[in-house]
Amino acid sequence: MNSQIKKGILDLCVLALLEQGDSYGYDLAGSLARKVEVADGTVYPILRKLASEGVVSTYLQESQNGPPRKYYHLTDSGRRKLNSDREEWLKFCGEVNEILERGETGGKADE
Amino acid sequence: MNKTEYLNRLSNELGHMPYGDVKDIMQSIEEHFDEGLSEGRSEEEIAAGLGDPKELANEFKDGAKFNQIMKKRKKVDNGRDGTGRIFVVVFNIFVGVAMWLVLLAAIIAALCILGVDLGIIGVIVASIIMGKITEFIVPFIFLLLTLICVAIFLVVILILGIKYYGKGLKAYIRWNRHVWNYGLGED
Repeated sequence: MNSQIKKGILDLCVLALLEQGDSYGYDLAGSLARKVEVADGTVYPILRKLASEGVVSTYLQESQNGPPRKYYHLTDSGRRKLNSDREEWLKFCGEVNEILERGETGGKADE
Repeated sequence: MNKTEYLNRLSNELGHMPYGDVKDIMQSIEEHFDEGLSEGRSEEEIAAGLGDPKELANEFKDGAKFNQIMKKRKKVDNGRDGTGRIFVVVFNIFVGVAMWLVLLAAIIAALCILGVDLGIIGVIVASIIMGKITEFIVPFIFLLLTLICVAIFLVVILILGIKYYGKGLKAYIRWNRHVWNYGLGED
Protein backbone atom coordinates (compact mmCIF):
# COMPACT_ATOMS: atom_id res chain seq x y z
CA MET A 1 0.00 0.00 0.00
CA ASN A 2 1.10 3.59 -0.68
CA SER A 3 3.25 4.74 2.24
CA GLN A 4 1.72 8.23 2.32
CA ILE A 5 -1.78 6.90 2.86
CA LYS A 6 -0.49 4.49 5.46
CA LYS A 7 1.36 7.19 7.38
CA GLY A 8 -1.72 9.35 7.72
CA ILE A 9 -3.86 6.57 9.06
CA LEU A 10 -1.33 5.03 11.47
CA ASP A 11 -1.86 7.83 14.01
CA LEU A 12 -5.49 6.81 14.13
CA CYS A 13 -4.53 3.12 14.52
CA VAL A 14 -2.28 3.90 17.49
CA LEU A 15 -5.05 5.92 19.13
CA ALA A 16 -7.46 3.03 18.57
CA LEU A 17 -4.99 0.57 20.14
CA LEU A 18 -4.70 2.84 23.17
CA GLU A 19 -8.47 2.93 23.46
CA GLN A 20 -8.24 -0.73 24.59
CA GLY A 21 -6.16 0.42 27.56
CA ASP A 22 -2.81 1.95 28.47
CA SER A 23 0.16 0.27 26.88
CA TYR A 24 3.93 0.57 26.36
CA GLY A 25 6.00 1.05 23.22
CA TYR A 26 7.10 -2.54 22.58
CA ASP A 27 3.60 -3.88 23.02
CA LEU A 28 2.08 -1.23 20.74
CA ALA A 29 4.78 -1.79 18.13
CA GLY A 30 3.95 -5.52 18.12
CA SER A 31 0.19 -4.98 17.95
CA LEU A 32 0.55 -2.55 15.07
CA ALA A 33 3.13 -4.53 13.09
CA ARG A 34 1.11 -7.74 13.43
CA LYS A 35 -1.91 -6.13 11.75
CA VAL A 36 -0.38 -3.66 9.31
CA GLU A 37 2.73 -4.17 7.26
CA VAL A 38 5.01 -1.63 8.94
CA ALA A 39 8.37 -1.75 10.72
CA ASP A 40 8.27 -2.10 14.52
CA GLY A 41 10.05 1.24 14.84
CA THR A 42 7.26 3.18 13.13
CA VAL A 43 5.18 3.38 16.27
CA TYR A 44 7.76 5.43 18.23
CA PRO A 45 7.77 8.62 16.14
CA ILE A 46 3.98 8.44 16.10
CA LEU A 47 3.80 8.13 19.88
CA ARG A 48 6.14 11.10 20.27
CA LYS A 49 4.02 13.20 17.98
CA LEU A 50 0.78 12.19 19.68
CA ALA A 51 2.29 13.00 23.08
CA SER A 52 3.33 16.47 21.90
CA GLU A 53 -0.18 17.06 20.57
CA GLY A 54 -1.52 16.16 24.01
CA VAL A 55 -3.75 13.37 22.73
CA VAL A 56 -1.73 10.83 24.70
CA SER A 57 0.06 11.22 28.03
CA THR A 58 2.95 9.14 29.39
CA TYR A 59 3.95 7.72 32.74
CA LEU A 60 6.55 5.26 34.00
CA GLN A 61 5.56 1.98 35.60
CA GLU A 62 7.73 -0.76 37.10
CA SER A 63 7.90 -4.03 35.18
CA GLN A 64 8.62 -7.46 36.67
CA ASN A 65 11.83 -7.81 34.73
CA GLY A 66 14.18 -4.99 33.93
CA PRO A 67 13.78 -1.20 34.05
CA PRO A 68 10.43 0.64 34.30
CA ARG A 69 8.34 0.83 31.17
CA LYS A 70 7.03 4.02 29.63
CA TYR A 71 3.26 3.69 29.38
CA TYR A 72 1.03 5.66 27.06
CA HIS A 73 -2.47 6.75 28.00
CA LEU A 74 -5.23 8.12 25.79
CA THR A 75 -6.29 11.55 27.13
CA ASP A 76 -9.80 12.97 26.89
CA SER A 77 -8.83 15.10 23.92
CA GLY A 78 -7.29 11.98 22.35
CA ARG A 79 -10.55 10.12 22.80
CA ARG A 80 -12.43 12.95 21.11
CA LYS A 81 -9.93 13.02 18.24
CA LEU A 82 -10.14 9.26 17.85
CA ASN A 83 -13.91 9.28 17.67
CA SER A 84 -14.17 12.07 15.13
CA ASP A 85 -11.26 10.81 12.97
CA ARG A 86 -12.56 7.26 13.06
CA GLU A 87 -15.98 8.35 11.91
CA GLU A 88 -14.44 10.38 9.10
CA TRP A 89 -12.21 7.52 8.02
CA LEU A 90 -15.00 4.94 7.99
CA LYS A 91 -17.19 7.26 5.98
CA PHE A 92 -14.37 7.87 3.53
CA CYS A 93 -13.69 4.12 3.25
CA GLY A 94 -17.34 3.47 2.53
CA GLU A 95 -17.36 6.03 -0.25
CA VAL A 96 -14.14 4.71 -1.78
CA ASN A 97 -15.33 1.10 -1.60
CA GLU A 98 -18.52 2.03 -3.34
CA ILE A 99 -16.57 3.54 -6.22
CA LEU A 100 -14.09 0.68 -6.42
CA GLU A 101 -16.70 -2.06 -6.31
CA ARG A 102 -18.81 -0.34 -8.92
CA GLY A 103 -15.73 -0.14 -11.12
CA GLU A 104 -15.12 -3.87 -10.69
CA THR A 105 -18.58 -4.89 -11.86
CA GLY A 106 -18.43 -2.57 -14.85
CA GLY A 107 -20.90 -0.05 -13.47
CA LYS A 108 -23.66 -2.61 -13.04
CA ALA A 109 -23.80 -2.37 -9.25
CA ASP A 110 -27.02 -0.40 -9.41
CA GLU A 111 -28.91 -2.97 -11.41
CA MET B 1 23.23 -5.32 13.00
CA ASN B 2 23.32 -5.73 16.79
CA LYS B 3 21.82 -3.45 19.42
CA THR B 4 24.86 -1.20 19.84
CA GLU B 5 25.33 -0.77 16.11
CA TYR B 6 21.67 0.03 15.59
CA LEU B 7 21.58 2.59 18.41
CA ASN B 8 24.78 4.24 17.16
CA ARG B 9 23.48 4.56 13.65
CA LEU B 10 20.15 5.89 14.83
CA SER B 11 21.82 8.46 17.06
CA ASN B 12 24.09 9.54 14.19
CA GLU B 13 21.14 9.94 11.85
CA LEU B 14 19.21 12.00 14.39
CA GLY B 15 22.09 14.46 14.18
CA HIS B 16 20.98 17.99 14.87
CA MET B 17 17.98 17.34 17.06
CA PRO B 18 18.10 18.85 20.58
CA TYR B 19 20.01 16.68 23.07
CA GLY B 20 16.96 16.09 25.28
CA ASP B 21 14.93 14.80 22.34
CA VAL B 22 17.71 12.49 21.16
CA LYS B 23 18.13 11.10 24.66
CA ASP B 24 14.42 10.50 24.97
CA ILE B 25 14.24 8.75 21.60
CA MET B 26 17.31 6.60 22.30
CA GLN B 27 15.78 5.57 25.62
CA SER B 28 12.57 4.39 24.01
CA ILE B 29 14.42 2.37 21.34
CA GLU B 30 16.73 0.88 23.95
CA GLU B 31 13.67 -0.08 25.94
CA HIS B 32 12.33 -1.77 22.80
CA PHE B 33 15.51 -3.84 22.52
CA ASP B 34 15.38 -4.83 26.19
CA GLU B 35 11.76 -5.92 25.93
CA GLY B 36 12.56 -7.98 22.83
CA LEU B 37 15.60 -9.57 24.44
CA SER B 38 13.58 -10.54 27.51
CA GLU B 39 11.18 -12.33 25.15
CA GLY B 40 14.15 -14.34 23.87
CA ARG B 41 14.55 -12.60 20.52
CA SER B 42 18.04 -11.89 19.22
CA GLU B 43 19.46 -8.37 18.88
CA GLU B 44 19.73 -8.82 15.10
CA GLU B 45 16.13 -9.93 14.86
CA ILE B 46 14.88 -6.95 16.83
CA ALA B 47 17.05 -4.52 14.85
CA ALA B 48 15.70 -5.91 11.58
CA GLY B 49 12.14 -5.62 12.89
CA LEU B 50 12.64 -1.96 13.82
CA GLY B 51 13.43 -1.08 10.25
CA ASP B 52 16.18 1.00 8.64
CA PRO B 53 17.64 3.36 11.30
CA LYS B 54 17.92 6.14 8.73
CA GLU B 55 14.25 5.89 7.85
CA LEU B 56 13.27 5.76 11.52
CA ALA B 57 15.41 8.84 12.24
CA ASN B 58 13.68 10.70 9.41
CA GLU B 59 10.29 9.87 10.83
CA PHE B 60 11.40 11.26 14.20
CA LYS B 61 12.69 14.40 12.47
CA ASP B 62 9.38 14.91 10.68
CA GLY B 63 7.66 14.68 14.03
CA ALA B 64 10.11 17.23 15.47
CA LYS B 65 9.25 19.72 12.72
CA PHE B 66 5.65 19.26 13.69
CA ASN B 67 6.56 19.95 17.34
CA GLN B 68 8.19 23.25 16.42
CA ILE B 69 5.05 24.38 14.65
CA MET B 70 2.99 23.40 17.68
CA LYS B 71 5.32 25.34 19.99
CA LYS B 72 4.96 28.44 17.83
CA ARG B 73 1.23 28.13 17.99
CA LYS B 74 1.41 27.79 21.76
CA LYS B 75 3.39 31.03 21.92
CA VAL B 76 0.62 32.78 20.04
CA ASP B 77 -1.87 31.23 22.43
CA ASN B 78 0.07 32.63 25.38
CA GLY B 79 -0.02 36.11 23.84
CA ARG B 80 -3.71 35.57 23.56
CA ASP B 81 -4.11 35.24 27.32
CA GLY B 82 -1.33 37.45 28.63
CA THR B 83 0.30 40.74 27.72
CA GLY B 84 -1.89 41.53 24.73
CA ARG B 85 -5.05 41.69 26.79
CA ILE B 86 -3.45 43.64 29.63
CA PHE B 87 -2.04 46.12 27.09
CA VAL B 88 -5.44 46.62 25.47
CA VAL B 89 -7.12 47.30 28.83
CA VAL B 90 -4.41 49.65 30.16
CA PHE B 91 -3.98 51.50 26.86
CA ASN B 92 -7.70 52.10 26.57
CA ILE B 93 -8.08 53.30 30.16
CA PHE B 94 -5.23 55.83 29.93
CA VAL B 95 -5.01 56.80 26.26
CA GLY B 96 -7.37 55.18 23.81
CA VAL B 97 -10.81 56.00 25.19
CA ALA B 98 -9.75 59.52 26.27
CA MET B 99 -8.36 60.26 22.80
CA TRP B 100 -11.55 59.19 21.04
CA LEU B 101 -13.70 61.13 23.52
CA VAL B 102 -11.65 64.33 22.96
CA LEU B 103 -12.02 63.95 19.20
CA LEU B 104 -15.74 63.33 19.60
CA ALA B 105 -16.00 66.44 21.81
CA ALA B 106 -14.18 68.46 19.12
CA ILE B 107 -16.67 67.30 16.50
CA ILE B 108 -19.61 68.16 18.74
CA ALA B 109 -18.06 71.57 19.50
CA ALA B 110 -17.60 72.24 15.78
CA LEU B 111 -21.26 71.30 15.22
CA CYS B 112 -22.33 73.76 17.95
CA ILE B 113 -20.21 76.56 16.49
CA LEU B 114 -21.68 75.83 13.06
CA GLY B 115 -25.17 76.03 14.55
CA VAL B 116 -24.49 79.40 16.20
CA ASP B 117 -22.83 80.67 13.02
CA LEU B 118 -25.84 79.71 10.88
CA GLY B 119 -28.14 81.27 13.48
CA ILE B 120 -26.35 84.63 13.31
CA ILE B 121 -26.34 84.48 9.49
CA GLY B 122 -30.09 83.87 9.58
CA VAL B 123 -30.74 86.78 11.93
CA ILE B 124 -28.63 89.20 9.85
CA VAL B 125 -30.22 88.10 6.55
CA ALA B 126 -33.70 88.39 8.05
CA SER B 127 -32.91 91.81 9.45
CA ILE B 128 -31.62 93.07 6.11
CA ILE B 129 -34.62 91.67 4.20
CA MET B 130 -37.10 93.13 6.69
CA GLY B 131 -35.27 96.43 6.42
CA LYS B 132 -34.45 96.67 10.10
CA ILE B 133 -30.82 97.52 9.39
CA THR B 134 -30.55 100.84 7.68
CA GLU B 135 -27.21 102.09 8.93
CA PHE B 136 -23.85 100.27 8.68
CA ILE B 137 -25.19 98.03 5.96
CA VAL B 138 -21.75 97.57 4.33
CA PRO B 139 -20.00 96.33 7.50
CA PHE B 140 -22.96 93.98 8.11
CA ILE B 141 -22.58 92.54 4.63
CA PHE B 142 -18.87 91.99 5.28
CA LEU B 143 -19.72 90.29 8.57
CA LEU B 144 -22.24 88.15 6.72
CA LEU B 145 -19.68 87.09 4.11
CA THR B 146 -17.16 86.25 6.84
CA LEU B 147 -19.75 84.17 8.69
CA ILE B 148 -20.67 82.32 5.49
CA CYS B 149 -17.00 81.52 4.89
CA VAL B 150 -16.71 80.21 8.43
CA ALA B 151 -19.83 78.07 7.91
CA ILE B 152 -18.48 76.54 4.66
CA PHE B 153 -15.14 75.90 6.33
CA LEU B 154 -16.84 74.19 9.28
CA VAL B 155 -19.04 72.06 7.04
CA VAL B 156 -16.01 70.80 5.10
CA ILE B 157 -14.10 70.14 8.31
CA LEU B 158 -17.07 68.29 9.80
CA ILE B 159 -17.69 66.10 6.75
CA LEU B 160 -14.04 65.07 6.66
CA GLY B 161 -13.87 64.81 10.46
CA ILE B 162 -16.90 62.54 10.81
CA LYS B 163 -15.82 60.38 7.87
CA TYR B 164 -12.32 59.82 9.22
CA TYR B 165 -13.57 59.51 12.79
CA GLY B 166 -15.69 56.56 11.67
CA LYS B 167 -12.88 55.01 9.64
CA GLY B 168 -10.30 55.63 12.33
CA LEU B 169 -12.49 54.18 15.05
CA LYS B 170 -13.09 51.06 12.98
CA ALA B 171 -9.35 50.63 12.36
CA TYR B 172 -8.64 51.27 16.02
CA ILE B 173 -11.14 48.63 17.12
CA ARG B 174 -9.66 46.16 14.62
CA TRP B 175 -6.17 46.86 15.94
CA ASN B 176 -7.36 46.38 19.52
CA ARG B 177 -8.94 43.06 18.62
CA HIS B 178 -5.73 41.91 16.94
CA VAL B 179 -3.62 42.78 19.99
CA TRP B 180 -6.23 41.18 22.22
CA ASN B 181 -6.15 37.93 20.24
CA TYR B 182 -2.51 37.63 19.22
CA GLY B 183 -0.56 39.89 21.56
CA LEU B 184 1.87 42.67 20.59
CA GLY B 185 4.56 42.28 17.98
CA GLU B 186 3.14 39.07 16.55
CA ASP B 187 2.09 39.39 12.95
